[in-house]
Amino acid sequence: MKTLKKVSIRKSTLIFLSFLFALVCTTNLKAQEIQVKGIVKGQTFEKIEILKGANIFLKGTKIGTSSNKKGEFNFPQKLNVGDVLEISYLGFLKKRVTIKKSSSFIKITLQEDDNQMLGALNSGKRHKTKRQKE
Amino acid sequence: MPKIKLWIFLIFVNLSFAQQSDFSHIDFSKADNIAKTVKSKRLYELHKLTYSLTKNLNTDIEKFRAIYIWICNNIANDFGLYSLNEKKRKRFLKDSVKLKKWNSKFKKKLFKKLLKKKRTICTGYAYLLKEMSAIVGIKSKMINGIGRTSSVDLSGLAMPNHTWNAVKLNDKWYLCDPTWATGISFPEEGTFKFMYNEGYFLTEPKLFFLNHFPLEKKYTLLDEKTTSFKGFTEAPLLYGDAYTVLKRHIFPEKMHHNLNKNDTFSFKYQLIKKTIPNKVKLVIDSGTLERTIQPKVDIQNEYLTVQHTFKTKGFFDVHLYIEKKLIATYTFNIEN
Repeated sequence: MKTLKKVSIRKSTLIFLSFLFALVCTTNLKAQEIQVKGIVKGQTFEKIEILKGANIFLKGTKIGTSSNKKGEFNFPQKLNVGDVLEISYLGFLKKRVTIKKSSSFIKITLQEDDNQMLGALNSGKRHKTKRQKE
Repeated sequence: MPKIKLWIFLIFVNLSFAQQSDFSHIDFSKADNIAKTVKSKRLYELHKLTYSLTKNLNTDIEKFRAIYIWICNNIANDFGLYSLNEKKRKRFLKDSVKLKKWNSKFKKKLFKKLLKKKRTICTGYAYLLKEMSAIVGIKSKMINGIGRTSSVDLSGLAMPNHTWNAVKLNDKWYLCDPTWATGISFPEEGTFKFMYNEGYFLTEPKLFFLNHFPLEKKYTLLDEKTTSFKGFTEAPLLYGDAYTVLKRHIFPEKMHHNLNKNDTFSFKYQLIKKTIPNKVKLVIDSGTLERTIQPKVDIQNEYLTVQHTFKTKGFFDVHLYIEKKLIATYTFNIEN
């Protein structure tokens, strides 16, 4: 009886462990599976338009890509659920997108920031005080 | 391990040194050479460009340097965009909706031109520097404010006209102006010439403030008591070359002075590199007559004192030249 019990315990532990192992494996496989593509647009004052040359990065890494002339990108590495992509374009607010199971194609619309466009020339021209004519 | 040691060393060095010499122990020639050799016809793949600039560099300061120098060597000032924007902003000054609409439309145009043709105006430089720095994990900010040059009329200036950057390196903020570092504009001809000015890279904040008044005051990186707008508008007029020659502009604090005949006036500066007395000149312009004089000069180490006695009454523009470079202008009203 005693030995039998031992065996059965061992067996159940084994089954449990292999189940756990299988679970870890499959979730891992599943997590690696997402190939993320997408399109980047920008919302300006008047309209929404495609952004060519937007930067798409996996947060905290150097892995990234840029959008093409149709605003489309194909992320160079498969992503896990929970990974965060950072999308930026000059003049627009940076956006973060958390990858879900359903994120194989993501549409991103960036909002224009409210920074004013300015420019001051530095001509290096020597100052001359304007004097009143006497 | 050696990397950690280096960082600890850098942090110590930072705590004990003054702003502009924080990185004097770092040789930028490697970063500068990389910036010279990397070419990119267009900017649609900023991350690739940024990595090719920084992948062989170990420290943040060197990475930032390579990005900054690349921008200064490759991005031209667009005079057409500048004057178009200037005209429209003036027209819509009192109509905030129209101004917003214009700004949005112009922004799109500006970035398209920047990515495709590598031409822009100040804010474009600042955006690009910020974006490329962010790609390699360096934090920076765009600073909007008033840029003072000889062609800016401060009395008629109702809004900011310039953008530059603050960058955080080893937990400390520094200032730089990629637009003005890039080259010189010739408004009459409507042209631009690349001519790199090293003086706008991590400039001493006190010197930087003489030409840069930020809307957010903390980005002067100075004590707020010393940074009033009035003080800024009354300060001496400094030119681009001042940044390559001066470490600090010590005295006078104002551009204009009222004196009596035969009064002697002293100017005091701290120089980056020691110079010799006969390379310091004053050009005194009475409006109709201009003369170049060799003033009384005293040089103690890197400290330069210049003295002049005004012998005739009148109104004078006084220009300081060091080694043939135009440094600063002051005005004097001399009475009997």
